[in-house]
Amino acid sequence: MRIVETDVVVIGGGGAGLRAAIAVAMRDPSLRVALVSKVVPMRSHTVAAEGGAAGVIRADDTLDNHFNDTVSGGDWLCDQDVVDYFVAHCAEEMIQLEHWGCPWSRHEDGSINVRFFGGMKVQRTWFAADRSGFHLLHTLFQTSHKYPSIARHDEHFCVDLMVEDGRVVGALTIEIATGELVVFLCRAAVLATGGAGRVFRQNTNAGIVTGEGMGLAYRHGAALRDMEFVQWHPTCLPGTGILMTEACRGEGAILTNKDGYRYLQDYGLGPLDPWPRAKAMELGPRDRLSQAFWHEDKKGRTIQTPQGSAVNLDLRHMGAEKILARLPLITHAARTFAGVDPVEQPIPVRPAVHYTMGGVAADGRCATDIAGLFAAGECSSVGIHGANRLGSNSLAETVVFGKVAGESAAAFAQDAGATGARAKDMAREAADKALALLTARKGERVAVLRGEMMDAMEEGVGLYRTQESVDGACRKIGELRARYRAGVKLDDANRAFNTEWLSAIELGMMLEVAEAMAHSAAWRKESRGAHQRLDATQRDDASFLVHTLARRQGEGAPAISSSPVTITRSQPRSRVYGGEGKQAELT
Amino acid sequence: MSEIRTYRRPMGRWWTKNPTYRRYMAREASSFLLFAYALTLLYGLWRLSQGQAAYEGWLAWLASPFAIFLHLLMLLGMIVHTVTWFEVAPKTMPKTGLPERAITLGGVAAAAFASLVVVALAAWWGTSR
Amino acid sequence: MNERRIKIEGLRYNPEKDTQPRFQTYEVPFTDDMSLLQGLQYIKDNLDGSFTFRWSCRMAICGSCGIMVNGNPRLSCETFLRDLLPGPVRVEPLENFPIQRDLAIDQSRFVDRLASVKPYIVPAREKPLAEGPHKQTPGELAAYYQYSQCINCLLCYAACPQVGLNPNFVGPAALTLLHRYNADSRDVGWSARAEVANSEGGVWGCTLVGYCSQVCPKGVDPAHAVNQNKATSALDYFGLRALLGGGR
Repeated sequence: MRIVETDVVVIGGGGAGLRAAIAVAMRDPSLRVALVSKVVPMRSHTVAAEGGAAGVIRADDTLDNHFNDTVSGGDWLCDQDVVDYFVAHCAEEMIQLEHWGCPWSRHEDGSINVRFFGGMKVQRTWFAADRSGFHLLHTLFQTSHKYPSIARHDEHFCVDLMVEDGRVVGALTIEIATGELVVFLCRAAVLATGGAGRVFRQNTNAGIVTGEGMGLAYRHGAALRDMEFVQWHPTCLPGTGILMTEACRGEGAILTNKDGYRYLQDYGLGPLDPWPRAKAMELGPRDRLSQAFWHEDKKGRTIQTPQGSAVNLDLRHMGAEKILARLPLITHAARTFAGVDPVEQPIPVRPAVHYTMGGVAADGRCATDIAGLFAAGECSSVGIHGANRLGSNSLAETVVFGKVAGESAAAFAQDAGATGARAKDMAREAADKALALLTARKGERVAVLRGEMMDAMEEGVGLYRTQESVDGACRKIGELRARYRAGVKLDDANRAFNTEWLSAIELGMMLEVAEAMAHSAAWRKESRGAHQRLDATQRDDASFLVHTLARRQGEGAPAISSSPVTITRSQPRSRVYGGEGKQAELT
Repeated sequence: MSEIRTYRRPMGRWWTKNPTYRRYMAREASSFLLFAYALTLLYGLWRLSQGQAAYEGWLAWLASPFAIFLHLLMLLGMIVHTVTWFEVAPKTMPKTGLPERAITLGGVAAAAFASLVVVALAAWWGTSR
Repeated sequence: MNERRIKIEGLRYNPEKDTQPRFQTYEVPFTDDMSLLQGLQYIKDNLDGSFTFRWSCRMAICGSCGIMVNGNPRLSCETFLRDLLPGPVRVEPLENFPIQRDLAIDQSRFVDRLASVKPYIVPAREKPLAEGPHKQTPGELAAYYQYSQCINCLLCYAACPQVGLNPNFVGPAALTLLHRYNADSRDVGWSARAEVANSEGGVWGCTLVGYCSQVCPKGVDPAHAVNQNKATSALDYFGLRALLGGGR
């Protein structure tokens, strides 16, 4: 086992992780940073984000608008003090990215162009064509080369954290190419490992979005918060789940059912005219749009494709020139993966799991329950998304809170004493456990257990839930955990570059994260934001205006409790979209 | 990082492996034919410097079937070289800011034809004096 | 229902056991919309868990899944089994890289070269955030935008024979990134990057085979990015680069 001594270890090299590493380097270049990622950082899933990142810059926009859009979009489950910090720092981070070379799209005069996004009152989404996440990630990755204090450890898979007396003292990783175990002894750590969408069958996520960061913190006593809130993105290709960005709708695309009818007007998002109009019709929030699909489907008004039911995302009226200039990636993806030319035909789309609102519970400084462990990005729940995330708030989140986590970790590392004495022993124990998986002689295949988990989640913890369905999922996941413990047999006995072994380790943590999601969904007996129940269709602020907390209980089901939501100036109201309004000018 | 034994595949006869490589090698090889033609012309110039008899001998040789065959080969090389040169030349220039539609195959062919006409006229004028 | 099948011949190399690669054939059931990547995943999930390959986003934006398909560098997520009929489909790791395992290659040469071109904005002065963003017109953005589209998939490195023949050659994608920053109106870092650009392994290592631009899945045109800098590099040698682009 190899030992690397460092000051701050950042686990995850996506938008949040890179931003955190840079923040540590900028704040104190004498602190050693180890950036550990299971892929080379430009492969991180931030790369696939398309639509843009929010930041108030227009003269007719205010921080209050962004605050109110976010809080109401989150169905009042947001911690409003953290939202205040967030909206106040978005534009600054976007400007920082611009200084670092991010190719934001511009107006003719060279100033930054911003567009509409779902649930937003004013245009404030900065975008770089329709591949904003790609550009944001590459900008951060390339800029990170400026800081010699950041040592990168690419393709190192983190299997466990070393936590001594409630404080993080190290991280154990597998160097993928060789299978060697490498432990990073640290004073502070940042978790930036992304979401857990792959626990569901239909999702927009990359194969790497398996939630192990959440699992790692969870196993060491950190609470996972608001796990039942999973976002379905309303416009994804059936079958593969490949994302058709919200930016299409921000540029004026419409959704029609099999009769060519813009059905969203039946679900409280109308009237139709004038179009386009902020927060109305196709520019409504994602949870409402996904839920509308579900109802249309039940009514039999969706179109049938070989990959399942779908509705039409129609861009044709926008014209070839605008489509090709503003949405080139979508055009290519639709042609390649759906065999459809958006200039000539509508694209078949349906909801798929896209984002995990929940995550490791963290406060406004990104501090978790474990001392010295900070969390940022999709793996965290700092309190800005509440029950439903608005599009373009997530890319902004990675950099705003990536910076906060990095600075918090740097401050902690500066004050912290030397690393714990038992870290190496704990690492050896964890290493033995990981190696035991490699040598198991009997058991089930990873793909079988994983497939059953994905189907159970899709069935039981889907767009609409019932007590019966979530209880069924809880039971099934519990059973799968037991079968996992009984044994997983690998075809591959190698140490070197054994991705089957890694997928088995991932599966263990995915099952625990999925279980936390299912039990949290069972506990919350109301409908709020992305968590909708057929047997409790109203929002119940009296009983459930609280965060859900899931804590691991060894091999048994997690314990679910709650924690208060910080409400400062926006009191819960009904979420109103659609309605009157003037025609918006699309930029 | 502890080392594992990676494997380097030998490149072998890589230029035979796909049409793009073969075209590339043909392009590069055409420069040999171009060089051969330059040598031929230089040789002819040298024969000219050696007097009338030498020069007439040279012209006679040029009319021989072997020389004609050689020249057809070199002409082929010239054509390949020229066409491929025009194909890659744009890659060596910075973006001009002109729209892509400004440069067309028709336009290049027309310019080539026009320059051929100019050369032919100059040759006719030169030899008719 | 008639299930169609296709054979996939995969290169296998296990660094713990093999001294050289061998081929193994698998038979995969498929449907019209299945990508080659889905075929490889079928093999790993159901037939042979030891078959190793990289992948992530499934939508040709992360650059993980580059492999050789019937001798051509392709992204497996964007290559469809229906286009490879009747098969067998030969899949091998990308050319010109050392093989780590099966279809996975050692990317470190590229990662190191990427770092060597100083792939970040070198500004004329440190602009405070309070001053807001730089202005950059759509025209100025267009001067470099195409070159910023590179997903680092390494297909161009597999395509380029100079990458294989010349270990010092920085390579198409890294040199494209060098050009991307030089061409950005916010950057003045030409001199900082000149040593790499002007070296034998820099732009001069390129012999304009042009295959890189043909295989690039994102239309980046690395051949153009590299070769337009030969003129710049030559002028730089004579101290005349300012003629072309001004003092940057």
